[in-house]
Amino acid sequence: MTTETAAVPAGGAGMGHGAARRRELIRAQSARSLRRRHLTGRGAVGLCVVAVAISLTPLVALVAYTTSRGIHALSVDFFTKIPTPQGIPGGGISNAIVGSLIIVGLAAAMAVPVGIASALFLLERRGRIAGAIRFTADVLTGVPSIAIGIFAYAVLVEPLAHFSALAGSFALAVLMLPVIIRSSESAMRAVPRTEWEAGLALGVRRGRVVRSIVLRGALAGIVTGNLLAVARAVGETAPLLFTTGNQLFNLSPLQPTGAVPLTIFSDGTSPFPADQQVAWGAAFVLLLFVLVLSVIARLVAGRLNRQAR
Amino acid sequence: MGAWKKEPEVADPVDRTTSTLEEIPPAERTPVAGVKEALQRRWDRPGGRGYAALRWGGATLFAAVAIALVVTLLTSSSQAFGHSGLSLLWTGTWDPTHKIYGAETFIVGTLITTAVALVLAVPIGVATAAFLSELAPRWLATPLSVLIDLIAAVPSIVVGLWGLLVLTPAFAHHVEPFLKTIPVLEWFFHGPALGPSMLLAGVVLAVMILPTMVALSRTALAGVALTDREAARALGGTRWQVVRRAVIPGARTGIEGAVTLAMGRALGESIAVAMVIGNAYVIPHSLLAPGATLGSAIINNFGGATPGLDRSEVIALVVILLGITALVNAGGQVLLRSRSRPAVH
Amino acid sequence: MSVTPETDAPETAAVSLADVSVSFGSHRVVRDVTLDLARHRVTALVGPSGCGKTTILRAINRLHDDTGGKVTGRVTVGDLDVYARDTQPELVRSRVGMVFQRPNPFPTMSIFDNVVAGLRLNGVRNKALLLEAAEAALHHAALWDLVKDRLHTPAVRLSGGQQQRLCIARALAIEPEVLLMDEPCSSLDPIATAKIEELITRLSTDVTIGLVTHNMFQATRVSHYTAFFQLGDDRATGELIEYGLTEDLFDKPNDPRTKAYVSGQVG
Repeated sequence: MTTETAAVPAGGAGMGHGAARRRELIRAQSARSLRRRHLTGRGAVGLCVVAVAISLTPLVALVAYTTSRGIHALSVDFFTKIPTPQGIPGGGISNAIVGSLIIVGLAAAMAVPVGIASALFLLERRGRIAGAIRFTADVLTGVPSIAIGIFAYAVLVEPLAHFSALAGSFALAVLMLPVIIRSSESAMRAVPRTEWEAGLALGVRRGRVVRSIVLRGALAGIVTGNLLAVARAVGETAPLLFTTGNQLFNLSPLQPTGAVPLTIFSDGTSPFPADQQVAWGAAFVLLLFVLVLSVIARLVAGRLNRQAR
Repeated sequence: MGAWKKEPEVADPVDRTTSTLEEIPPAERTPVAGVKEALQRRWDRPGGRGYAALRWGGATLFAAVAIALVVTLLTSSSQAFGHSGLSLLWTGTWDPTHKIYGAETFIVGTLITTAVALVLAVPIGVATAAFLSELAPRWLATPLSVLIDLIAAVPSIVVGLWGLLVLTPAFAHHVEPFLKTIPVLEWFFHGPALGPSMLLAGVVLAVMILPTMVALSRTALAGVALTDREAARALGGTRWQVVRRAVIPGARTGIEGAVTLAMGRALGESIAVAMVIGNAYVIPHSLLAPGATLGSAIINNFGGATPGLDRSEVIALVVILLGITALVNAGGQVLLRSRSRPAVH
Repeated sequence: MSVTPETDAPETAAVSLADVSVSFGSHRVVRDVTLDLARHRVTALVGPSGCGKTTILRAINRLHDDTGGKVTGRVTVGDLDVYARDTQPELVRSRVGMVFQRPNPFPTMSIFDNVVAGLRLNGVRNKALLLEAAEAALHHAALWDLVKDRLHTPAVRLSGGQQQRLCIARALAIEPEVLLMDEPCSSLDPIATAKIEELITRLSTDVTIGLVTHNMFQATRVSHYTAFFQLGDDRATGELIEYGLTEDLFDKPNDPRTKAYVSGQVG
């Protein structure tokens, strides 16, 4: 390589006059402004700390207050008795707890198989149809839950002319589906293609490979996504408001059923302190259930990460 | 040394760019190519009728549900749109007894409460995310992040209950009277301090969307390349300057996506808002005044609506709400996708 | 060798390292490096992967500060004691520019904003000075004619080689006295590499350059001095094996290890 010196600024070796002047100006400005820059930084970090405090205060206060109020409402009766008439102290929310379990269990039974099958569809297929389904799932994630509740009312309550746990389950299933589809798909995609190929190379049928390799490899991720979907569904109120009906104790999915969020809504908006106390108790039970589910989901996901490493 | 490792050069008889076997003349096919061919065939084999039925069944069912959702709500509201036409959107009165239906109050209420929620939650959420992702030491950032992620799972009905029974009296007796004493903000805060109000609804929504805002912004900030941070650091930037000039701009589209998704959630929330907004069907003149949103109006009117036009009008509110949220969420998804696409080099 | 040190100029050290070791946690990555970067010369740091070249380079502008690396020993840039208690790392970095392995222009900024990013970070707000410095830096990096008509288009639209030259311009805009380059051509094609090498040669009349490279030919082409690094006997910690004029080091290395490596690489 020949050394080209043509483009060297006038002055040859060493800096041009302009460069020396600029260096001096920049150095001076840099040193002069550094104090201000550090102060601004400190101020900004201080504001961020304030923001963290502002974020945490209501969130922690909400959880702490619900716990402190709700924990007093708990008793054996609270879990085993049915509600007393409005304004009368005592009673329990057994109907709502059993109702919630039935409704959410049924919803999961509907949404999980369809969701995983749809995720497999997205996994195996590229192109416009898959793109459209993926986009639908993403948009459906943001559909207001009240809209889904009204939809379930229109298709399952109005035709049958009565409320039912099934209608509520259907609404929750629709709510859970997009979450399950997208999380399961990404968990399955994380299974390396080489593992597929290893199975396929042995001549194993594709459906079997999927079952024994892909689903097994993605199991932790799928479980996490599904648990989070259930945790979200169990606290939903709006989809149940016009679908599951009243607060009777009931075990049949085709009959009107109570649910914990509905208890919180009706008792919380009641003017009687006794009812409000029940609402706090129900809120605490719901909160605990949701947090435990989320923690389990996290632990499963954590185990998955450790295995991946 | 850096992570730069040279890939070991393995003699590969098959050109990596040829994807189909036909491009390799049979004479030149090596055993490796044979294996690849076999693998490709196995890969492409559809694999069992039962498996195909499962996949197609699931996807079809899901698509059918999504289509049914839209179709059902549209047909159920057609009577309403037939009765009032699009003037439903800009009629301010909701008076079922006189067959006057207008969604304007609710649309305005929805937009105002959402705006209040975003004004509160976006700056606080982004600053919190910046602290957790960039500024805090790990021992502090990790537990706080987990805490906020967990709180994101708190059901909206619990937030609503807390808003109704704890915040409402606090707002009526302390917060709202205090806000009225601030001279400049008088324009926003005037009228009697009742408790239930647009402001309180906005605050409750802010509490609800804050964890989402923090979690998504944190992901966006963490996604900014280390090399961008180092570039700013090596140029003499202070720690905060690196965050402000390199990290936050780099995460901008991701943060915008987070804002849109949080906005979608605020727009669509119904139950918690119904519990704290006061349910007044007039366009509010102040943030302290009670009002109504699309969500709260649906909650309060659907149960008592008589079948026919009355119910159809409520479902029309659902359709309007669905339209607004779908628009916002589609926008958010597009933003998030454009962010996850790697920069063009 | 086409580039020879101008032997008549006095060789003063712009950067000097004395007994510098860097460790991460309990792992000592590189130890006891004593090395000068001669003023307005190119000093190449060569050696196999993982022997601490980049680590040493990053010790010069205190880039280990926030990544948990612990630096011991003494580093001076001109009259500045880099690790002295009252030395601000920001001020060190504003005197020492750095170019990284992969081009890393700020993806959200325009070409112009990228070039002046360093000035703005250092508190310069004077528009005339920004414009002047940007033009000078782009000239220096041989980019001016190419980009002068599209200064406000996104930097990521440039090709890889052009992006790397933009990063060089960005580093030069704050008029550093030292430019550290960490394998600046490792992600570039041969033509872009040749342009960067040409640039390095030209820039060395104005700035002191420390260049990490794994390409021995590149070292012979552009550097005046070469420092050869290798893992020590414990196979875990990098050491400076030999340091001298590039032609001496390649033609008649003193250390058998240098000889073995050079003959293996250059043949």
